[in-house]
Amino acid sequence: MIAVLLLLAVGGMVAGMLVGRAAPRLWLGLTLAGIAAGLAAAVSVLAGGTEWEWHSAILIGGEPLHLRLDGISAFFLVLLGTVGGAGAVYAHEYWAERLHPRSARVARGWWSALVLTLALVLVSANGLHFLIAWELFTLSAYFLVTLDRRQPAARAAGWLYLGASHVAVLALFAFFALLAARTGSWDLGPMREHKELAPLFWLALFGFGLKAGLFPLHIWLPDAHANAPSHVSAMMSGVAIKMGIYGLVRFSGWLPMPTGAGWVVAALGVASAVLGVAFALGQHDLKRLLAYHSVENVGIILIGLGFALVAVEQGDTMWGRLALAGGILHVWNHGLFKALLFFGAGSVLHATGSREMSRLGGLWRPMPWTATLFGLGAVAISGLPPLNGFVSEWLVYLGLFDATQSHSEAAWAAIPAAILLGVTGAMALACFVKVCGVVFLGAPRSAEAARAHECGGMMRGPMLLLGAACVAIGLAPVLFWPVLARVTSAWRPGWADATAPAPLLMLGGVHLALAAAAGLAGWLLWARVKQRGLARALTWDCGYVAPTARMQYTAGSFAGTITAWFAWILHPIVQEQRAEAVLPAGASHRSHTPETVLERVIEPMGTVVMAVSGAVRRRQHGRVQSYLFYLLIGVAVLAGVVLAGGEI
Amino acid sequence: MTPFLEGLLRLAWWLVLAPLLPGLINKVKAWVAGRRGPPVLQLYYDLARLWQKQVVMSTLASPGFLIGPAVAWVALAGAVCLVPLGPVGAMLSFHGDALLMLYLLALARFFTAWAALETGSAFEGMGAAREVSYAILAEAAMVAAMLSLSVQTGSVSLVTMLAPSAGPGAALLAAGLFTVLLAENCRVPFDDPNTHLELTMIHEVMVLDHSGPPLAVILHGAAMKLLLFSVLLTEAVLPMGELSPPAATGVLLAGVLGVTIGVGLVESLLARFAFRRVPLLLTTGVLFCLFALLVAWKGGRA
Repeated sequence: MIAVLLLLAVGGMVAGMLVGRAAPRLWLGLTLAGIAAGLAAAVSVLAGGTEWEWHSAILIGGEPLHLRLDGISAFFLVLLGTVGGAGAVYAHEYWAERLHPRSARVARGWWSALVLTLALVLVSANGLHFLIAWELFTLSAYFLVTLDRRQPAARAAGWLYLGASHVAVLALFAFFALLAARTGSWDLGPMREHKELAPLFWLALFGFGLKAGLFPLHIWLPDAHANAPSHVSAMMSGVAIKMGIYGLVRFSGWLPMPTGAGWVVAALGVASAVLGVAFALGQHDLKRLLAYHSVENVGIILIGLGFALVAVEQGDTMWGRLALAGGILHVWNHGLFKALLFFGAGSVLHATGSREMSRLGGLWRPMPWTATLFGLGAVAISGLPPLNGFVSEWLVYLGLFDATQSHSEAAWAAIPAAILLGVTGAMALACFVKVCGVVFLGAPRSAEAARAHECGGMMRGPMLLLGAACVAIGLAPVLFWPVLARVTSAWRPGWADATAPAPLLMLGGVHLALAAAAGLAGWLLWARVKQRGLARALTWDCGYVAPTARMQYTAGSFAGTITAWFAWILHPIVQEQRAEAVLPAGASHRSHTPETVLERVIEPMGTVVMAVSGAVRRRQHGRVQSYLFYLLIGVAVLAGVVLAGGEI
Repeated sequence: MTPFLEGLLRLAWWLVLAPLLPGLINKVKAWVAGRRGPPVLQLYYDLARLWQKQVVMSTLASPGFLIGPAVAWVALAGAVCLVPLGPVGAMLSFHGDALLMLYLLALARFFTAWAALETGSAFEGMGAAREVSYAILAEAAMVAAMLSLSVQTGSVSLVTMLAPSAGPGAALLAAGLFTVLLAENCRVPFDDPNTHLELTMIHEVMVLDHSGPPLAVILHGAAMKLLLFSVLLTEAVLPMGELSPPAATGVLLAGVLGVTIGVGLVESLLARFAFRRVPLLLTTGVLFCLFALLVAWKGGRA
């Protein structure tokens, strides 16, 4: 049954790749049909069906094909199917032939290829095939990121992404090769009893962490997400970086863990969460800002996973289960609301041609659908009740609070983690109030923003679907508990509670009541205002009679206080000319928050490497005499060593 | 009595009593300054008057300008449902409700700030920016305070957390929570609810363009938030669970009155701080809560 569905899914994707160039509608139909088949297979596993495993005699690269669809794979496959399908529909209008005649054709083919290779990563249970699928997915994503190749920024972002991804691939090569060398087989599966494999986890953490966008390995992420077409950004942020999380969840479940792994993962998670949102606050580019929020949310996921690992180490599983459930659920949640937000950003870009927040404003009037759905996504990503973001953050919090009460070593880590998670939540709220306010509210700051138009049905539909999913998880979290239990039992057999914790049921009830009450209160207030009369007037600006849109608060000033607190790491670049003297000639202010880790750490390191390489290259110039001289020196040194009595 | 009716009665207690607090604070301030001051029930009159008024809305504002205050009010009303009222307990209580309360306050903040940005006014943008920025430190303090109560009592449910006194760290926790109360409710020395100079305000400047029923909803919500923090502070510090029900009720009322008078006295005796010193004061609040947490940690089960 599952085999048939997966075969159908592969068939749909491959057929989609083949017809993608010529027939957009047929491509969309085939892709969606393939995704539907894949989703059906994943859902049947998650809904309690048996795990699917297939050993085949077919050799690829000398290794027999081995596929496996268990709870963890199926969980990520559902996210892939949802965002992949929604993105395909969205792209049909957003990256249409009419708008992008050069790249629309290849975009469709690469989209199918990306979905297919991501699914292969999720189901392959052989180290070699995992690596092949991983590399293919990296390449498909590269071609999608650089679709708009005429833009130098897109080319540079693609180059950085490709370079960084291959550093990750290098680490993963080492990881899988060492694993195969020590176990004698490329086959993957539970191997917790092989204690000697534990140190390999650090390689996996580097490789998968780089892909997940963990701070400080996130350097490639903001550029790639900001410069890719928006449906690709949604896929990258919603699904592709989750492959790093998949790898970490998968191999922390299968391999023995080195001591201290949980602490390191949790600490990296906290750093990613706080610093990700701090960098996001400093951004003026809408999509770059959203990209930094991926770093933040990956951090929240890793706090959950890290504390689950600490719980494993301490043999105490009660609070570990809650933290793990929260982290795992946040994978879905972030995938859903971040894809929604990137679609919203794409819709804004489509309508105005600008990602620069200081050129937008007042878009709620021409784009009510986009504004409302983006607002919904903003509430969800800020982790506010009654939406899904709060459910997963609340589970992580519960894990941390319960860990504190255990009065064990874990409590020492849980206290700062809980406080910093609170700080992260408050900062995310500040950031999304800023984004919504500057982009959608107030008056348009440029002619393009004033001329904006709403997106069409093919772009609105996927946003509605993702928004509905966010609301569904928020209002009925208990329904999704069996899924989490399934993933947990695949991670550590015997850990899962089949019945949802009672507080989760209560939380769902409160969320429902809250949503109903908010709707009712909004309607009542609206009715009251209608009854008493509503007059429109200019915004009150201290009696100033000619307000202009440029007098509005900007994104930079809104976040100014917070970015000043984080100036020690953000290093914002400010150029300003103040209005001084009695008759000031003019004033200007320009601020920019660079990618500090890239510009202050990686680039100087690159410069050093290049300088050393340049110096070494001067020694190799093709003159035979010099080479003979090098040989002579070598022989002399060896002779010296032997004469001195050393052994070679 | 059916649970539903009982719940409604409790909610009514919060809704009806809340506007009393700002009146009391004003009375205390007037008394210190030697004035007669406005009547204690002034806010009730104001709310009734505003509810009757017409609304003037900025030409730039979307319907969110009206929906925002409504959602914020519902979030605050939801938060007060989770806070126990001394001997009668809370309307709703479950493992982890303390965190839900914190995030409901955050939801109210989101929608108040959203509604402020609707008008495109630089003043309101300034107020919203200050509100959400200072809330970061206030949130850290609140999470630390909740952790300290949680460590003290071994629970994450407000009813259990607030029943005993905060133990040896009570004075520290009281200082921390009082600082957060002043900041979150926009009182002196963080904000001045009386000033008419927009550049020095946080909360008032966010609601500059609101009028009529939406303004009434905002003012009532703010009063409810003040009552919520006063009740939280009183119950966190005093051993409510160990008293007989009548005594606990009396202590709760006296505690809330004490906090109110305290706010009034602070407002009479202190000037508003310069904005650059506000984060320092709030950080002090965070530190108070952290030390309370440390004391609870060491004193709890050592």
